[in-house]
Amino acid sequence: MTNVPTVLSEWESKKLLGSALPTPREALTTSVEEAVALATSIGRPVVAKASSVAHKSDAGLVRIGLSPDELQQCWSQLAEAGDGTVLVAERLHGELELIIGGSRDTSFGPLITVGLGGVAAEVFDDVAVLLSPPEPGELDAALRRLRSAALLEGFRGTPAVDRTALTHIVGLVAQRLDQDPDVMEIDCNPVLVCEGRLVVLDALVVKR
Amino acid sequence: MTATLDPLFAPRSVAVYGASASDPAKLGNTLLANVAGGIADLRCIHPTASAIDGVPAQPSLTKAVDLALVSVPARGAEQAVRDAVGAGARVVVVLSSGFGEAGPDGLAAQERIAALVREHGARLVGPNCMGVVSHLGDDRWLNGSYFWAVPKTPGHVSFVSQSGAFGGMFLSEVRRRGLGFTRFVSLGNSPDVDVTQALGWLADDPETQVIGVFSEGLRDGRDFVDVARSITPHKPIVVLKGGRSTAGARAASGHTGSLAGTARAYEAGFTRAGVVPVATSDEFFDVLSAFAVPRLRRHGRRVAVITVSGGPGVLAADAAEAAGLELVPLSDQRQSAIRAFAPDFAATANPVDLTPQCPPGNFHGAISEVYTDESLDGVVVINCGLDIPEFGEAVAAAHTATGKPTTAFLLDTPRVQAAVSHAGIPCFGSPEAAVRGFAAGVKP
Repeated sequence: MTNVPTVLSEWESKKLLGSALPTPREALTTSVEEAVALATSIGRPVVAKASSVAHKSDAGLVRIGLSPDELQQCWSQLAEAGDGTVLVAERLHGELELIIGGSRDTSFGPLITVGLGGVAAEVFDDVAVLLSPPEPGELDAALRRLRSAALLEGFRGTPAVDRTALTHIVGLVAQRLDQDPDVMEIDCNPVLVCEGRLVVLDALVVKR
Repeated sequence: MTATLDPLFAPRSVAVYGASASDPAKLGNTLLANVAGGIADLRCIHPTASAIDGVPAQPSLTKAVDLALVSVPARGAEQAVRDAVGAGARVVVVLSSGFGEAGPDGLAAQERIAALVREHGARLVGPNCMGVVSHLGDDRWLNGSYFWAVPKTPGHVSFVSQSGAFGGMFLSEVRRRGLGFTRFVSLGNSPDVDVTQALGWLADDPETQVIGVFSEGLRDGRDFVDVARSITPHKPIVVLKGGRSTAGARAASGHTGSLAGTARAYEAGFTRAGVVPVATSDEFFDVLSAFAVPRLRRHGRRVAVITVSGGPGVLAADAAEAAGLELVPLSDQRQSAIRAFAPDFAATANPVDLTPQCPPGNFHGAISEVYTDESLDGVVVINCGLDIPEFGEAVAAAHTATGKPTTAFLLDTPRVQAAVSHAGIPCFGSPEAAVRGFAAGVKP
């Protein structure tokens, strides 16, 4: 009996985590016209991502800082590389990228992972792991043990990471693990910190 | 459920399977001799012999015993277990190897034995383990293990190990460090009694005040967390988890037939359980040595280093900071009080280095000044080679008078060591180890 894990698309993953998940202003577009209309209404440069493609960034299928015209030019290429749709999102800038994840251990069951995200996640390997759901105080204690704890407290004038928002996202991940035994892995990465606020830029859910 | 391990740790009657009538060098004969040293109601089960090594033998068990110890080769173990539980043995320890760790056939035999024991409402320890050692009171011990040299000093430390060989290290370190202990059990493949269930029994054992655990992998981590967190507020649990690295994890699966989990999942579980995780065997025994002393189990982090040896004192100070202890600088007033006893060039801020030139008669006054300082929770004492009895007596007296938790590193100072040890202060193998011993009991 072989169970091939199912990797949900970014859009499906975010939907599964629920509408309370803080995301950029974004939508899955099914036509170039729809995409251009969205980009125009956002009124600022956008990000366009191919859908249902693993490692889409490495594959060059994430385009950043597009104007509506530029989006029009690359939309079809991105759509064809993926499942025929393109995720168009407002482009955001922030001071820090975090990872908030969930997984299952054969002995300890559901786990939460929180730490430095984005490229830094791989370079610095600075994450804390907690039993899910975390009990009161455990998340704060784990964050204090991170090497980059000072960055999260607010560093050289940047505001501190919004702990309530962080706890909220951790709660959503924990709830998914708790309620859906088929969910094996959840990655919210990167979770962008902009002026202390948190926005989940990308998400990935693996089901068995 | 916890009461069901009473026959393991406090048996009134024991049966041993697997001693040889012709070859006294068999492990089963060592086991029999070990048990005979402490248990009067003992019988040996052997197909033909009427007695082995002075213990009456019979072909099968005819009346119930608290504890049956099985040391026959794997192929005969099932029959021995059937005989034991059939006659009403309450706990069966199978020490023999060749079960779950040896492949599918061994695993099947192990499962049959576990089922057999369960059917009879008994409990199974092992297979593939080194057995059990337990202090029965006064100078009576159960040595239901293969270890012939068990250090029989009663104490309040108990030890649970999956690995038998690490159990041997424990007994050897207990002897070397002059520690006492009360319960020892090696669990082996543990299809029935596992680390968590052993902890459950030790939780209610009045003799057990400190628990050391060596594990290569927990089958149900959440269960462990639930049980351990109910114990750690009352009794510290020190855990050495083998199989952290990938290479170690491979060895673990081949060894006790258990799966090694990821290091971080264990860290998460240990954090919630409130256990003290350690990474090396040195650390494990250092922390147990410290916890063996009640005063070193729960105290504050503000510490002074008292020394007469500059460099080692500085190493202790560095280690203290790295371990999250606070080296509180002593007040000017306190420092001048100390200076009244010490040479001009002594350091008095903390570390307090009284130097070898300190007049012997002044150690008492100087050391007492440090101990009585209310900004301090405890003291780490470092002395390399200055074997002046007054130093040791001063530490012992100040420690006894104030009750402040103290650890020591003493090198080549037998007279100082005698006085310090007599006061109940544990001595460690390096300045860093003395600090580690102090740091383990710091309240979170």
